[in-house]
Amino acid sequence: MNLRWAVARLAALFRKRNLDRELEDEIRAHLELAERDAIARGLTPEEARQAARRSFGGIEQMKEDHRDHRGVRWMENLLRDFRYGMASLARDPGFAAVAVGLLALGIGANAAMFSILDAVLLKPLPFPEPERMVRVWEAPPHSLPNVTSTLTFLDWKRQDSVFEALSVERSTRAAVGTGGDPARFPGKLVSADYFQVFGVKPRIGRTFAAGEDQPGAAPVVVLNYSFWQTRFGGDPEVLKRDLKLDGEPHRIIGVLPAGSFDRDEAVFWKPVIFAPGQMNREQHWLPAVGRLRAGVSLEQARSKMSILRSSLAGVMPSGKKEWGFAVDPFAQMLVGDTLRRTIYLAFGAVLMVLLIACANVANLTLAKGATRRKEMALRAALGASRGRLIGQLLTESLVLCLLGGAAGVAVAYVLLRAAAPLLAASLPFTADLSLDLRVLGFAAAAVMAVLILAGLLPSLQTSFGKLSHSLNQSARGSSGSSATLRRTIVIGEVAASVVLICGAALLLKSLMKLQQVDAGVRIDHVITMTADLPSTAYPSAESAARFYDAVVQRLRAVPGVEQASVSLDLPLQGVRWGESISLPGVTKTFHVDLKLVDPWYFDTLQIPLKSGRGIEDRDRAGAPPVVVINEEVARQLASSYGVANPVGRIVTIDVPGYGPVPESLVNLQIVGVIRSERTGGLHRPQGTVAYLPLAQAPRQDIKLVVRTRSDPLAAMTGIREAVRQVDSNLPLGDVRTMEQVKERSMLWAKQPTWVVGAFAGVAALLAALGLYGVLAHAVTQQRREIGIRMALGARPGDVLSYVLRSAFSMLIVGLAVGLAGAFGLTRVLKSLLFNVSALDPVALAVACVLMSLVGILAAWIPASRAARVDPIAVLRDEG
Amino acid sequence: MLAVNMSENKTDVPYGTLDLLILKTLETMGPMHGYRIARRIEQVAENLLRLNQGSVYPALMRLEQQGWIRTQWGISETKRKVKFYSLTRAGSKQLSVEVANWERTTALVARFLEAES
Repeated sequence: MNLRWAVARLAALFRKRNLDRELEDEIRAHLELAERDAIARGLTPEEARQAARRSFGGIEQMKEDHRDHRGVRWMENLLRDFRYGMASLARDPGFAAVAVGLLALGIGANAAMFSILDAVLLKPLPFPEPERMVRVWEAPPHSLPNVTSTLTFLDWKRQDSVFEALSVERSTRAAVGTGGDPARFPGKLVSADYFQVFGVKPRIGRTFAAGEDQPGAAPVVVLNYSFWQTRFGGDPEVLKRDLKLDGEPHRIIGVLPAGSFDRDEAVFWKPVIFAPGQMNREQHWLPAVGRLRAGVSLEQARSKMSILRSSLAGVMPSGKKEWGFAVDPFAQMLVGDTLRRTIYLAFGAVLMVLLIACANVANLTLAKGATRRKEMALRAALGASRGRLIGQLLTESLVLCLLGGAAGVAVAYVLLRAAAPLLAASLPFTADLSLDLRVLGFAAAAVMAVLILAGLLPSLQTSFGKLSHSLNQSARGSSGSSATLRRTIVIGEVAASVVLICGAALLLKSLMKLQQVDAGVRIDHVITMTADLPSTAYPSAESAARFYDAVVQRLRAVPGVEQASVSLDLPLQGVRWGESISLPGVTKTFHVDLKLVDPWYFDTLQIPLKSGRGIEDRDRAGAPPVVVINEEVARQLASSYGVANPVGRIVTIDVPGYGPVPESLVNLQIVGVIRSERTGGLHRPQGTVAYLPLAQAPRQDIKLVVRTRSDPLAAMTGIREAVRQVDSNLPLGDVRTMEQVKERSMLWAKQPTWVVGAFAGVAALLAALGLYGVLAHAVTQQRREIGIRMALGARPGDVLSYVLRSAFSMLIVGLAVGLAGAFGLTRVLKSLLFNVSALDPVALAVACVLMSLVGILAAWIPASRAARVDPIAVLRDEG
Repeated sequence: MLAVNMSENKTDVPYGTLDLLILKTLETMGPMHGYRIARRIEQVAENLLRLNQGSVYPALMRLEQQGWIRTQWGISETKRKVKFYSLTRAGSKQLSVEVANWERTTALVARFLEAES
């Protein structure tokens, strides 16, 4: 079936009349020629005419044959039905609008959701041979993998037989440009072969050359596409310019193509050049990404790395003898379990909505079909085959589905455009949410599925009923089998909605429980922000410590500010630094998260002391090193080491250095125990945390925490001014109240709740619409029966309860089926629930009550209309 | 397209071979109209074949859709406007393919028939 053939056939469809005439002409010419030859052979004109006809064969049969081969017969029928379907829809625009709207909603939401699912979970990463991309770690036993040290990284990099390219990928920030605008932009410190790992070619210019990450190389920088557009207006001459990063000019050598690297946080990439002070194995600061050599499997890479690890046993630091090297697929790290579950859950929910929308359309079509039975019967009586009748009805549904699908694609486009910026932070940078061919293919598949679900059943129903019966019977009562089918569909809709509402109720209850968890810190009237002390202005630990003192002094003087402090990490956002802690003379160690805080941190966040003292102003550089622990550390010391009263004890911890200075083992005296604050997510049990004085271990990437008397956002102007007085070039980032910090920490739980909740709401509305449709239809059909009943003495109240009973019977069955489904399906939810059983009776009861209320509301309208039926008017109509 | 067999020693056009006969005819005789094509096939077959002349038209239309023949308007001997059919380059290629196929098939069948006897 080549293209030319297909085109010829399609063209034939539209040139039908012309082609028929041409054929007639040819036949006539043929017969004339044949007659002429026959007369030449000596036949009479009459005999010649007959002979010509005879040798030609059946003319009509040949014409049919010609037409059958010429065009496409079923296509002609299809086109005719299509036109007929359009006309029939145009006659009933209300039905068409509702049906197309339902399908557009269903298909659109599904296509949008599929786009997310596809981009995050199905599509391969947008890099060549993504299965060769890996992350490489150092792996402490029984703990999360750790980033590596400079010397170990360089050992890895020498593994030519394993890695085609291996690069550092360390986030950084730098003030970009000169004067005026002190904004700091995120970037990445990488090795020269970083872009080989991703297999990315620059859009203009070049990426890093080998050697540009070596000491003495000229400073260069690569930009991403969006930064090039916004900052340089897409100027191709940008390659002749320098970009100042923290005041130091870097030659712009290339711009990356638009796409994934625009969704990543970084806007610039520059080579990392190791300083002599960083050449050690103690300071773990380098995340590594690599591309395996072609033909090297993950398993081979892992075994070669473990051989390397054994050969390095002699040089590894004493505390890290047990650590191994880990190689993980790059893709594995991009999508967390929670995100994966959330996406599947949302996709499942949106499929349910589509099913319910289909059911509604099927119901509408059935109701319409009931009024068309006579037409169908007549057509059948006139000789239309059953297949043709089904074909015609299906084609009408196809028209609906195609319109719905086209509108659905538009809906999906709008949804994605609206959702993409909201979701960007939750999705991996590789996820490109777009309406590509795969999504359109999915939408087409959805249209076909909808056609079968919403079109096939009603068309079978309409065409298979006893058609002759329909002709005889005047359509008075509702036709039995169609009504049963429609009620069954409504029950299905109610059941599907109940499943979704149950899911939403469970997630909501879980979220409420999460919100009630005590964070252990003051949440209201606290505002936080990040600052990042550039190495140029703050080259030493002392200069940083001076900044902390000065900024807190200034902040306290701001009107409305009660207390201010500096800390490395905020509550609820996790702790970036972790080390093992040990008692002198004891080999056994355990892990603690390290928080570096100033003396006013506990007071600002109102974290109470349990015993001893907190960190004080005297705990400065040069003073005896001290540490404050949380209750979990105290408990661990008591249970594992028998230390009943930890205050006063000496412990050993690796303390991070300033800038490129590696961490070093320090003996610290425990001076106090505080009540635990929630450092990580509210849903996880609190871990062990040790607090070191920031003045004794200063850091550059710090947070300011300020407690205010009134609205914390109102104090921001004063806070900014105070910081500007200390350092006029220091930009503040991520300004958030503690309330916002808390909300963000619950995002993983909120997103599925709102998504499932929204879909459950839509589902319930659609089910209510279905219920309303069936009841309203039944009331219309039974007007006469109701009228007679009322004439015989039934009161409006009786009629009302009669219709409501019918609604109840559907609702009850739907609720039962839905609950059974929820029992089966809510197990899926288990991992997204916090302190709530997947069979929580309260949540399930609430779901049932909600569905019932919505159902009764939907039933009330037709029921009260039935109660208002005027028996006299009805009986007169019949006369 | 197959006709009722009215005389015992004439066969119908074997299924699928009419296309081949038409292509071959156009190759040897050059452009001609439908009646001439039908007559030419009958003449070559010398009464061995029972052909409904009309059946060449659906076949011609099919061949044209495949791009193997093309049509031009011309004037018949009876001064009527008729279509003249001629072979395209793709058509002559197709013809050689079909001839080769046909020869292979007949050779195969012949071999079986010999082996049977």
